[in-house]
Amino acid sequence: MISVSDLVMTYDGVRRAVDNLSFQVGEGEIYGLLGKNGAGKTTTIKILTTLIPPVSGKATVDGMDVRTHASTIRKMIGVVQQGESFDFTTVERSFDIYSLLWEIPRGIAERRKAELIEFFDLARLRKSRVFELSGGEKKRLQVAREFMHDMKVLFLDEPTVGMDPIMRRDILNYIKSRAKDGLTVVFTTHILEEADYICNRIGIMNNGRLVAEGTSSHLKQNLGSLRKLTVESTAEITKKQSGSISDYLNSLGHPFELEVSGKMINVIASRVPKILSPFLAKLSELSVEIDHVSVVDPSLDDVFLEVMKN
Amino acid sequence: MRIPAFVRLTFRNILVNMDPGTMLFLLGMPALYLVVMGAMFQGFVPNVSVGNVSINYETFLTPGIIGMQTLTAGNIGAGMLWADRRWGMFEQILVGPFKRVDYLLSIMLLSVTFTLAGGAIMAVIAVAMSVTFAYTALNLAMMVIILSVGAMFFSSVFLIMSLTFKTMNAYNTATIFLFFFLDFASTAFYPVTSKTPVALKYMVYVNPLTYIVDAARYVITANDPLHAVLYTGVVTALMLVFFSIAIYMYSHMKGTTA
Repeated sequence: MISVSDLVMTYDGVRRAVDNLSFQVGEGEIYGLLGKNGAGKTTTIKILTTLIPPVSGKATVDGMDVRTHASTIRKMIGVVQQGESFDFTTVERSFDIYSLLWEIPRGIAERRKAELIEFFDLARLRKSRVFELSGGEKKRLQVAREFMHDMKVLFLDEPTVGMDPIMRRDILNYIKSRAKDGLTVVFTTHILEEADYICNRIGIMNNGRLVAEGTSSHLKQNLGSLRKLTVESTAEITKKQSGSISDYLNSLGHPFELEVSGKMINVIASRVPKILSPFLAKLSELSVEIDHVSVVDPSLDDVFLEVMKN
Repeated sequence: MRIPAFVRLTFRNILVNMDPGTMLFLLGMPALYLVVMGAMFQGFVPNVSVGNVSINYETFLTPGIIGMQTLTAGNIGAGMLWADRRWGMFEQILVGPFKRVDYLLSIMLLSVTFTLAGGAIMAVIAVAMSVTFAYTALNLAMMVIILSVGAMFFSSVFLIMSLTFKTMNAYNTATIFLFFFLDFASTAFYPVTSKTPVALKYMVYVNPLTYIVDAARYVITANDPLHAVLYTGVVTALMLVFFSIAIYMYSHMKGTTA
């Protein structure tokens, strides 16, 4: 559905906001674009939604080039922008305006409006003026009104900013259900749990380039070598014990993070499975009585941080 | 039947502007000028000559207030671009089923619609105040042309300002200053006489609102379309220049190329 190859975009002719970016998104797929601020996610979305033309490379949506078929593409996409976008009117009228702009027949528009207002919990705000809403409420409206019209591809640029966790999860589930019906979604977020939850595949961008790509589990397995080892002792860890543990980990010659607090010892390191047995033996040697041990797989956050570090 | 994109956008612009604040600005304030100034000044301002006819102050003021609608509606129309850019709707519209030209046309059409509607309402108020006009089909057609050209002229001026000023304070200050300057340094409220200071005369005669108002005045009070055609020609020429500048700036606006 979406094909991007060797895409380049510069704003000042020098610094590349998007630098030889290539990726594909299949029909009905939810593709997440992750990256720190300024990584090039929003610029990529602006190119794909035909707002700005790329300097070079090619981007197509449903087989149509964004440069030459902008008008046709715009008729088949939905966009939730990162920033606010609203009219100085009421919540209800915002839906009516969208129906008008997208030429949605009155009957269908009324039905969809009622459903979306209900689903997005906007009923009590129906008569409120949009500029009076909180940031999260505005965002809810922004996402909700986009579903007034039919579309093949939906671009969501940080759509859940400011929303409470319950609404966030509801919206993610709603997007998931629409994707099951064939809607293709390109999704950017800084909340990596969201990407983990919703995206079929994830691309991590840095300095305009795609530095990692795959399913969430693929990225965790292949890029997230960090593990978190947690040891709970039966008694408080003394300062002397803590110092000895730190010395021991240093002697292994691998980077690690150590946190000792009360009865808990947390070690984040890249070779936890290898050091596990000797580390536990060392604790025993230091008279630390072990009550419980756990090793946790990396989260998408860990993967993201590791990819960014590298 | 499909409604053209720019017409749908115009409906949207109208819906967005149907709020009490905008209506007060478009209709309330001019109606207040017409009723209060008309009634208060009528008592002591002598009759004014327009072409070959002599008219009372209320009749003189009415085309002034109707002509002012071009300025007010032009300000409202072009202000949409500033607000839409500031509040994200401009980009949102441009990622929808519209082209940039649709948006520009919708701004122009909004200004023309508001001008004609506002002008008609002011005319009704004037008739209720016993002001009489020269009603002919030709005069009505001339009024539509004068007001439409005027609305497009002021839309272009305010579009240029929308595209120039980045902050809300700067934009508001500049538009309010221009608005009051153009309103009061024109012949909308009072005629230029031999006693008018020379500097002020120049200001009045370089003010395009003067030509719009005078064109309207010659049509509906003096039944003199020839003078009106001349003045409308001046405004049309100015409109074409400013509209071209506005189009140039609009099409070179940074951030979007849709």
